[in-house]
Amino acid sequence: MTVQTQANVAGNVADDDLPARRRRNRIRYNATQSAIVAAAIVLVVLFAFAVKEGLARHGIRFSFSFLWDAAGFDISEGKTVALEDGVWPALLNFTSDHLIAQAFVTGIFNTIKVAVLAILLSTVLGTLLGVGRLSTNWVVRNLSFWCVEFVRNTPLLIQLVFWYFAVVLHFPPIAAAAKVYGVVISQQGLYFPVPTWQGGDSVLAIGTATAFWVAILGVLFDRNGTVRWICAGAVLLLGAMMFATGIVGLDLPVASKFQARGGTSMSPEMAALLLAIVVNSASYIAEIVRGAIDALPKGQWEAAASLGLTRRDTVNDIILPQVFRVVLPSFGNQYISLTKNTALGIAIGYPELFNIYGTIANQTGHSLEGIVIVMASYLILSWAISAAVGWADRRMTRHGASR
Amino acid sequence: MIARSLKWSRHNLFAKPFDVLLSLTVIPGVLWLIWQIAGWALTVAQWDIIPQSLRVLMIGIFPVDQAWRTWVAAMIIAALLGAALGCVFAFRGRHAGGLLLVVAVALVLTGTKGLANILCVAALVALFGLSWALISRVPAARRGLVPASFVGLIAIFAVMAPPGAGLWGGLLLSILLTLVTAVVTLPIGILLAFGRRSRFSSVRWICTAYIEVMRSVPLIMVVYWIWILMPVLTPQLNLADVVRGMIGFTLFYSAYVAEYVRSGLQAVPRGQTEAARSLGMSEFDINRSIVLPQALRVVVPPLVGNVLDIFNTAPLVFIIGLTDFLRAGQMILANPQYGDRTYEVYSFLFLTYFLVGSLITFVARKLEKHLARGSR
Repeated sequence: MTVQTQANVAGNVADDDLPARRRRNRIRYNATQSAIVAAAIVLVVLFAFAVKEGLARHGIRFSFSFLWDAAGFDISEGKTVALEDGVWPALLNFTSDHLIAQAFVTGIFNTIKVAVLAILLSTVLGTLLGVGRLSTNWVVRNLSFWCVEFVRNTPLLIQLVFWYFAVVLHFPPIAAAAKVYGVVISQQGLYFPVPTWQGGDSVLAIGTATAFWVAILGVLFDRNGTVRWICAGAVLLLGAMMFATGIVGLDLPVASKFQARGGTSMSPEMAALLLAIVVNSASYIAEIVRGAIDALPKGQWEAAASLGLTRRDTVNDIILPQVFRVVLPSFGNQYISLTKNTALGIAIGYPELFNIYGTIANQTGHSLEGIVIVMASYLILSWAISAAVGWADRRMTRHGASR
Repeated sequence: MIARSLKWSRHNLFAKPFDVLLSLTVIPGVLWLIWQIAGWALTVAQWDIIPQSLRVLMIGIFPVDQAWRTWVAAMIIAALLGAALGCVFAFRGRHAGGLLLVVAVALVLTGTKGLANILCVAALVALFGLSWALISRVPAARRGLVPASFVGLIAIFAVMAPPGAGLWGGLLLSILLTLVTAVVTLPIGILLAFGRRSRFSSVRWICTAYIEVMRSVPLIMVVYWIWILMPVLTPQLNLADVVRGMIGFTLFYSAYVAEYVRSGLQAVPRGQTEAARSLGMSEFDINRSIVLPQALRVVVPPLVGNVLDIFNTAPLVFIIGLTDFLRAGQMILANPQYGDRTYEVYSFLFLTYFLVGSLITFVARKLEKHLARGSR
């Protein structure tokens, strides 16, 4: 063990010596700093050079110009941004004469589609499971515990292939499809009813619809609790009114012998990926929720009980609001890892970003450039999620502080 | 007895109207599900496929006449795992009973495979128990553990390499990948964690950027990327797929280990470094013998959890064409002769993964309690 003999203790040093020593230390610090930066730059340049050399040996040039070539392959689902009739940018189905850059956009679109749905569903399911683990009911408590344990202790990939090969592909064929509340469930995919616009361009219909959306915005963003309740009521009322007057109709899917028409559809790959990711994420979220509930001071439960609140009121009004304030950052991490997990879609052929990247790399040979794009996309997605969660977190804490 | 169980069910199942409703819907549902699954498992399912294809599941397409190499590798792994366990939990008499149970289960699975296999399984478990007992009874042996684990890993590579690294597969590959990643990421992760709080802002920047980038991209992409990048960078080296996969896993999980270690470093009170500094210790010595031991103590449970994460993501090596445990199962199902055994094979895979995963979780939880005791 070396002991610093020249300890930086001011008392040992003559006063006129100190500035000189400080200057020397600063120069040494700056020199080390510059040396590290220089070494890092040299390493990066060497790396780039080696990559370029290696690619040249295979006869490939590092360039992004391949993005503007025609793709020449089809993607089974997903939209891309394209100029409609050469004028307006619009979301269109991807076809093989689109550009490779647009194929990447389709991949990002599909990834975001699954990620957003999975985030919403897994938050709800996860909170239910997490509360279920603390239920007073023995069966519910243990059932939630074992579900969470099982999912957390097995790989996501095997869950995914199980959902796909052993569950979704064993759904009945479309001719004998199961129908649940208008939802058609079959091997070829799931079909959901969607609301459709029947109001034409009448002023009354458009006005009602606008009021409906404004009310939704009010529920989401207004600071005042009473106004939020009024808005929620307005949303229900206006929604019911629009259905009742036929401004908005319901497009029900109808299954025929070979295909289903109407409604909106979800491919079997997407259904399996969504199921796997939702169930997996929900168990991690359940664990986060349970941990946060356990970490709350016992006094909160006891105070609520002494006020005569029922257990359900305690959980809804005392425990969960406090828990959500604590768990949001952990939820954010889980949302990011969920988004990254969508890359497993390649195992079952769901055309998300990584899968489309694989196709492009196979077709064009530009695998390294593609990786840069994919990496940047995932980075931006992660940053967007953590920014959104950070925003929600700040908003919630502010509310909590003012209450 | 009846009165007690009635009282129990009134408190735990039928306490409130809502509970009654919940119990009355959930209990029959669960019972029906169990009945269905048990009925399928006992009557319909044809389990003979599992013993028939056990070799493929365990070691993939490794040549049969070279199988002794995999046994040697498995024994080294068993000894290392036993030693690791021995560092934390003392070996007791009842543990020996548990190990005997493991032998019994293994015998049921491999019973039809001849005497040599039975002996090998018994030796495997015995080695595990012996090294566990040795390390927990003889604390002096722990000093040699870190070098021994590196020697052990190298020995495994040396034994397994001759028939060709491309032939590695099955559960053995999953475990090897996990083990190598877990061991190699630890020093890299510690270095990165220290780099993130270095005096030099450039080092801080580089380490932070590395960790953050690695944590926001999917593992499957990193593995694939390293796999295609390696031959471009070093064409003369010609690394095997397995090694490239291990490098990808290591690069990815180093960032995670670094974050765990960093949380541990933050948990060490400032007074510790200040006290050490006032004793005149150099920064390196402070970090090595004061900060790091205390930090690692805190992060052992999350690091064990990280091992479970590595094991659970090991099937992702399918992307670079390796045959791990899950892929081996799918390979069996690809055989048209076994096409209708989907549920049997998946049940076995799920069960094995769940057993291993629960074991690791159990150890992590025990460790957490064990370590929390000292810091009260």
